[in-house]
Amino acid sequence: MLLEVRDLRKVFKGRFVAVDGVSFSVPTGGSLAVVGESGSGKTTCARIITGLEKATSGTVTIEGERRASTVQMVFQDPYQSLDRRQTVTSCLTEVLAHHTTLDRAGRAARSAELLNLVGLDERHGPALPRALSGGQRQRVAIARALAADPKLLVLDEAVAALDVSIQAQILNLLVDARAATGVAYLFITHDLSVVQHVCEDVVVMHRGRVVESGTVAEVLSAPSDPYTRKLIGSVPRPGWVPTREVNRVC
Amino acid sequence: MTMLEFDHLRVEINGRPILRDVTLSVAAGEAVGLVGESGSGKSMTVKSVLRLLPPGARATGTVRFGDTDVHTLDGAGLRRMRSQDVAMVFQDPRATVNPVRTIGDFLTEVLRDQGVSRSDARTRAAGLLADVGVDHVARRLRQRPHELSGGLLQRVVIAAALATSPKLILADEPTTALDVTTQEEVVAILNERRREHGSALLFISHDLELAAAVCDRIAVMYAGEIVEILPADRLHEDARHPYTQALLRSRPGTVAPGERLATVPGSPQSAFDAPAGCVFADRCPQAAGLCRDVRPALLPIDSGLAACHLLPRETPSVA
Repeated sequence: MLLEVRDLRKVFKGRFVAVDGVSFSVPTGGSLAVVGESGSGKTTCARIITGLEKATSGTVTIEGERRASTVQMVFQDPYQSLDRRQTVTSCLTEVLAHHTTLDRAGRAARSAELLNLVGLDERHGPALPRALSGGQRQRVAIARALAADPKLLVLDEAVAALDVSIQAQILNLLVDARAATGVAYLFITHDLSVVQHVCEDVVVMHRGRVVESGTVAEVLSAPSDPYTRKLIGSVPRPGWVPTREVNRVC
Repeated sequence: MTMLEFDHLRVEINGRPILRDVTLSVAAGEAVGLVGESGSGKSMTVKSVLRLLPPGARATGTVRFGDTDVHTLDGAGLRRMRSQDVAMVFQDPRATVNPVRTIGDFLTEVLRDQGVSRSDARTRAAGLLADVGVDHVARRLRQRPHELSGGLLQRVVIAAALATSPKLILADEPTTALDVTTQEEVVAILNERRREHGSALLFISHDLELAAAVCDRIAVMYAGEIVEILPADRLHEDARHPYTQALLRSRPGTVAPGERLATVPGSPQSAFDAPAGCVFADRCPQAAGLCRDVRPALLPIDSGLAACHLLPRETPSVA
């Protein structure tokens, strides 16, 4: 297993339990979705895995020696995750200088390759983030994460802030990038239709606990947990009629 | 009866077009969904109803609410329309509700303004909260916004919007900041209460399926223009504009897992960047020469209206 998370627990300020005994694993080259609503603890899990947060108890085992070059992260908002004073090329070559032994020419060639992989070209190299659209910025963020040649990419709501037509482009890009590099995904999302498109396995989180897990096909077509059923039932789709759970509380 | 009518509305800010041409009507009691990507002008269209346009904006064409042209309203008329006849629900409830006043103050403000006594206003506010499924009403009225979750607070905003039984509700992405299960509750409540009050609804969303579930008709916007209008229950069958079709196809879940999603090249344009002819010509996979230069009119096709040169048109028969 590339990533093994066991009995993870995170308590904030000594009382709020954000993550409560969560276990899951991602095989090499696999793709696992962590689904849940706000407050379910999915982002806290992602932050513990990437080392941005310390777990109260439990273990995270990652194959390889250095976490930084094995695990990379893509955040939700590309307007905040990129340095607004750094050009696209310098953003990529900085990561390459840190994580690879390439010389200057090698780094330039590799950054051009990475831009190509995410559907950008040399024209975007000297650009600052402000000159790019939201979709282009998210491509840069993905290229930057892939620059370290990670084995695992943690994507925290990476397509949630994008317009529908741009979201489709980025989802295609993620499918292609995985096929081209063999990188594994840990996909944190609240959007079940996105899960279906990018992931093979899924864990459903609710109030800090895993309530259901399995392959995406199994869980989405035959959910066994009531919360998973409710979550799937709330997704707008053709012929869907929104209903209220409680009619009137007095 | 037409409750709200946009007639060739065009809005410019410092000479740059924001809306190019919006013609749309909402009948009394009807729900119309305005769908499009960011920058398409959905919010600007809705804001023009209440004359909430940014400084420097110049609007031409007309926006009629009932029989009145909103551009001719004086201060008192505008205030009356904003406080009683039209209610607005924004995306972020935390930005709508005053953080230092109680929920009770927020709900009773409009009623008190209309001369309802303090105790009556309090009773009515409690009733309004119960109607939108808020529990522990007496305690909620004493609480402040930070003590409520986003879903609960948006219900409070909806309760306030319905307090004056408005003729028209403008809802700008009212559930985008909420979780899906909460979204279902909130839209169901909004629609149920709206029907009970007989209010018309203009519902803005980026989610076609959500808008189709809530509304009677769907209007699709791109770059400051309405490119297609069709009945919500015919969305999948009768969508004819290439942009509407592209939006429908680009949702994951429409293809088998692992297959490529159909995408539209490029990114959404603003009214200022879009070509002079058809606004979608730069990104349209089927665009022909005529599309770039000549603006297509919004013409009837199947059960709706679409603005596209490439659709077969029946030649008007000469009687």
